[in-house]
Amino acid sequence: MTDRMRAVRGHVVLVLVGLACVFPIYWMYATSLRRPNDVFETSLLPWPLSLASYGEAARELDVLGLLANTTLVAVAVAVGQLLVALLAAYAFAAYRFRGEKLLYLAMIGTWLVPFQVTMLPNYVLLYQLGLLNTLSGVVLPQLLSGVGVLLLRSHMRSIPAELLEAARMDGRGSWGTLWTVVVPVLRPALAALAILLFVTAWNEYFWPAMVLQRSGAVIQLGIRGFLGTEGVRWGPLMAASGLACLPVFALYLVLQRQVVSAFVRSGLR
Amino acid sequence: MTLLVEVPAPAAPAPPEPATVGRRRLPRRLRALAPYLYLAPALALLVVWTYRPLLQAVQLSTYSWNLLPTSPATEVGLANFREVLSAPELGDAVGVTMLIIVGMLPFTIVVPVVVALLARQVHGRARSVYQALVFAPMLVAPVASAAVWQWLLDPSSGAVNRVLGLHVNWLADANGALVAIIVITGWHVLGFATLIVSAGLTGVDDEYAAAAAVDGARPRQITWRITLPLLSPTLVFLTLMTVLLSAQWSFPLIDTLTQGGPGTATTNIYYLLWEYGFRSFDAGHGAAAGLVFFVVFLAVAWVLVTMSDRLSFHDD
Repeated sequence: MTDRMRAVRGHVVLVLVGLACVFPIYWMYATSLRRPNDVFETSLLPWPLSLASYGEAARELDVLGLLANTTLVAVAVAVGQLLVALLAAYAFAAYRFRGEKLLYLAMIGTWLVPFQVTMLPNYVLLYQLGLLNTLSGVVLPQLLSGVGVLLLRSHMRSIPAELLEAARMDGRGSWGTLWTVVVPVLRPALAALAILLFVTAWNEYFWPAMVLQRSGAVIQLGIRGFLGTEGVRWGPLMAASGLACLPVFALYLVLQRQVVSAFVRSGLR
Repeated sequence: MTLLVEVPAPAAPAPPEPATVGRRRLPRRLRALAPYLYLAPALALLVVWTYRPLLQAVQLSTYSWNLLPTSPATEVGLANFREVLSAPELGDAVGVTMLIIVGMLPFTIVVPVVVALLARQVHGRARSVYQALVFAPMLVAPVASAAVWQWLLDPSSGAVNRVLGLHVNWLADANGALVAIIVITGWHVLGFATLIVSAGLTGVDDEYAAAAAVDGARPRQITWRITLPLLSPTLVFLTLMTVLLSAQWSFPLIDTLTQGGPGTATTNIYYLLWEYGFRSFDAGHGAAAGLVFFVVFLAVAWVLVTMSDRLSFHDD
């Protein structure tokens, strides 16, 4: 087989796999854009276009309010996780101290503790704190990201020691060094991690589902409300789902490379 | 200053300050505290939201308590553990979990390896477009994905049945529901696994393949005898991820699409724990089940991580 033929075969397989992967996403938007009477059509192109399903979804759910709440939660979680992880990673990367190894393991080990084991005690604690059915109740327990600490520590370790030494010679304390040397150097890594954390927080479903049981104040739960009912109205459901994915897709379109590398790196270490 | 130039990112070099070394330094004892101060927020969160509940689960596991503040918790010793381990649904859930793991392997290993190997022949913009397409499902929120797939799998008007010319009620059929859960979970992680394999492939030294080609090896032989063995650390890593995380990946879909059903056809171990926690109204029972799971999970993870080092083939 010639190289050219092999390249063609590669294209064909990749196009097929790629299309199979995006078809469900396409179908979601296609259905949401059909006229209410055309929802059951199978033509590939939704024509004529109509926003009626979005209107209906908006009447049923406070879509804008839910999106605003979800954004608030996701940004708060991502920024909080980033800050907490930055400080913790700095401690692990820049200092030798007693208990270092144990504390590091304890932090990385968080992913081994299943959510189903901690959920009940945490639920009870939120109840005692009066934070059930509040957005801060959603944010607070999620603020530590083991992956974040792991990634940032390994990035910080690769900063040349001379650079930190130079900052020290300039008479900067560790706090000043962190913000004027480490953070600027790590900017690309921090940006990638921020994206990863934001997307994960945006798509998080279980903890909000537990904490916000009654109020359903984030978009994921709003959609779930649509789902269970008899005689699902597919148009509005697809419209709401499409809106729930839109911010993440928009981010992806603009920053494809960073989003992908953030996910891959988090998987590789 | 040359040192600073070599740094890849815009590290604004500080203006040369007069020598103030030591003036702003904190006393020695305080400086020894510094790492703990940086760690304090993380540690506080760690203790409050992970390890305190873990300990509390240990404590709860020896009680029988229905979660109501008004009713007393009675101590029952190890009865909860006995009950958990002898429950018939446990075996079923373990079976479903294993089926899902095995069913996931094509999506996390086979297809990603094929796609990544083929993608090596493709360069430039086309390649990043394919990557973008394959990766997109990873970003779909689980609930939205459940909604779309429920629509695609709808027995009368869903696209899947219409295209295949079938009238299967996928989610109401025991086998159909399990297949659906596996395929949808696989759809989510396929792009991620493909990118991991691609990243692994760029780490494989081309020289071996080139040398083999000079010696007259066919492309197929090169793939099987050289590239794949050199890729083994990545493949082992992906297998590890699949075994350890499949249950977790499929959990949101099970909760939204099938609620473990029909019957217990899609009740995997995570979903069983979830049910114990919130449906059975016995906190002690749920805590005991969670701990059993945690210990087994730790053991499996430990065995796999130790084994994975031996199974990988390294070129050094």
